Amino acid sequence: MLGQVVISGLLAGALYAMVALGLGLIFGVMRVLNVSHGPLLMLGAYTTFWLFQWLGLNPYLSLLVSMPLLFLVGMALQRLFVRRVVDAPELSSLLLTFGVSIAIVNLAQLAFTADLRSVEYLTGSFVWGPFAFSKSRVIACAFAIVITTGAFLFLRRTRLGKAVRAVSQSREVAQVCGIDVGRIHMLAFGIGSALAAAGGSLVAVMVAIQPEMGQVYTFKSFLVIVLGGAGNYPGALLGGLLLGLIEQLSSLFLTTQVNEAVAYILLVLVLLVRPTGLLKGRA
Amino acid sequence: MTTSLWKLVGAAAAVALFGISEAEAQAPIKIGASLSLTGTYAKPGTYQKEGYEVCADELNAKGGLLGRKVEFVMYDDQSSTQTAQRLYEKLITEDKVEAVMGPYSSGITESVAGISEKYKKVMVSPLAATTSIFRQGRKYIFMVISPAEFYLEGLVDMGAKRGLKTIAIINEDTLFPKATVVGTEELAKKRGLQVVLREAYPKGNTDFSALLVKIKAVNPDIIAAATYFDDAVAITRQMKELNVNPKMFGVTVGGDIPEFYTLLKQNAEYVYGSTQWDEVLPYPGQKEFLSAYQKRFKHEPSYHAAAGYAGCLIYAEGVKRAKSLDADLVRAELLKLKIRTAFGDYAVDQDGFQTAHKMVMIQWQDGKRVVVWPDDLASGKLRFPTPPWSQR
Repeated sequence: MLGQVVISGLLAGALYAMVALGLGLIFGVMRVLNVSHGPLLMLGAYTTFWLFQWLGLNPYLSLLVSMPLLFLVGMALQRLFVRRVVDAPELSSLLLTFGVSIAIVNLAQLAFTADLRSVEYLTGSFVWGPFAFSKSRVIACAFAIVITTGAFLFLRRTRLGKAVRAVSQSREVAQVCGIDVGRIHMLAFGIGSALAAAGGSLVAVMVAIQPEMGQVYTFKSFLVIVLGGAGNYPGALLGGLLLGLIEQLSSLFLTTQVNEAVAYILLVLVLLVRPTGLLKGRA
Repeated sequence: MTTSLWKLVGAAAAVALFGISEAEAQAPIKIGASLSLTGTYAKPGTYQKEGYEVCADELNAKGGLLGRKVEFVMYDDQSSTQTAQRLYEKLITEDKVEAVMGPYSSGITESVAGISEKYKKVMVSPLAATTSIFRQGRKYIFMVISPAEFYLEGLVDMGAKRGLKTIAIINEDTLFPKATVVGTEELAKKRGLQVVLREAYPKGNTDFSALLVKIKAVNPDIIAAATYFDDAVAITRQMKELNVNPKMFGVTVGGDIPEFYTLLKQNAEYVYGSTQWDEVLPYPGQKEFLSAYQKRFKHEPSYHAAAGYAGCLIYAEGVKRAKSLDADLVRAELLKLKIRTAFGDYAVDQDGFQTAHKMVMIQWQDGKRVVVWPDDLASGKLRFPTPPWSQR
């Protein structure tokens, strides 16, 4: 029983990690907590749904559409709105992205209606001994690992990635070194949104799609980056897996009702004891 | 144009000269109601309103009530309890309606019940399913639909009859599903079923893995879930993912609506859902109701419409038997009344609490809802037991 629950937790956790990395990246680079992260994930899920509905496109192939699409949407959001509050107090950016989030959800309600949708593509599981591995969750986990690794390699190895990290370490120094900070901000917002979109496309196969599905991922991602250390990118991975495990284990040993409470109590504890996160984040 | 104007004046004069006393006697009976036509409850609220309208049409076609036409005065309460309270005050004191009918939902009914009591108006409340509303010593309120506690009676009954021994009961942690599981647990124990697991999950929960793993470990014969809709879909899907194989799996709200199958496709097969009413049920007046409703509104009625329609007919029956609109006389008749309408049976106890109406259980079979319980209303045979996922 424990084994099965750990499996479920890790599978969910990898996905959380990928989505949270997007939020963490935006926060790290701009000090903007993007409340519309979850709604962007929802848009990714709808992209997959419509492509599946209209063209019968394989939901996993639709990642190739949803990620670039939301990358552009993210850049546009940054250019049009978020850019104006980067240097403002953090409350302004919270309010702004909160507004954007409400707008996106309501527009989605108008455009797609509030009806539940689903992509019935892969259901059921691989059974291995006493364990069941949900097909859609295993594949989502695999994609999440690949995409997250890709994002890490980009940040570690490429010149552009290094520039992103430089801006998140110190904007002034980066600017002095000749990095176009404005461009990096747009890029980071684009990548962050694309990661959310990837999460959306992957959960589209697992859960019902509706305009309000995203918000919960904003909170989960927030929890993950605080657990892992805000601004610490590998921390997101640790935080994600940890959140997945906590949710499942507290459901198992306590009840499903309290799993969110447990996760948030842990959040408060981390903030009290290790305010920089489990892996040291940038203060 | 001039001629038609003269005709009009002539007609008016004729009425003025000869028709006054008759017109007064023939003034319509005004029945007031506030319904949720916008806001969260807009859909069911609108259906209920349509049910009232079909009822009024039918009564009027048959010569009205006590020889007078029936006219509904209806307002939109925007799904808000405060607005509904204001509207019922207005209906009774300003519009001077002679009777009222209930609004949509338990919550709004509870909030306006004090007003109909205060002004001594009988209020048949067709869409309030919460038991507590009817256990406050109120005199003039009457219940039409089955209470939450009985939603899964059919599942328990069918399982017990087929020799099943264990049941796991889960629910969303909100008022209505909670009442359902309390009732289900009682019914299950009465039928000798052992409740091997009972657990609630928060509203909006999407991941049921750990809960289902726990259920799998106790391997119950029946899984009974007091759900709304999203959760019913998610649980079904994740049961397949985790290879959880009960002999019966039933949900409450959500399992009976067409979208359940649209979303789950063949994975919805064998799932039981409970419903207050289904158009295939062989109730008296069902065909007439369906054709009148479809003719007027151009779509299929939901159970909300049927309950609204039946609630209004029940009130009318009370008035007919009392031969008066006097609240105390009508109340006495409604307490005695036993009737079967297009919505099913009606009979109440001394509190106006529904005791006769039966929930029905449907099972998804080849993409169709088949009524499988109770036996005398069944439209098809039960597919039992539910085969394991690997053998479908």
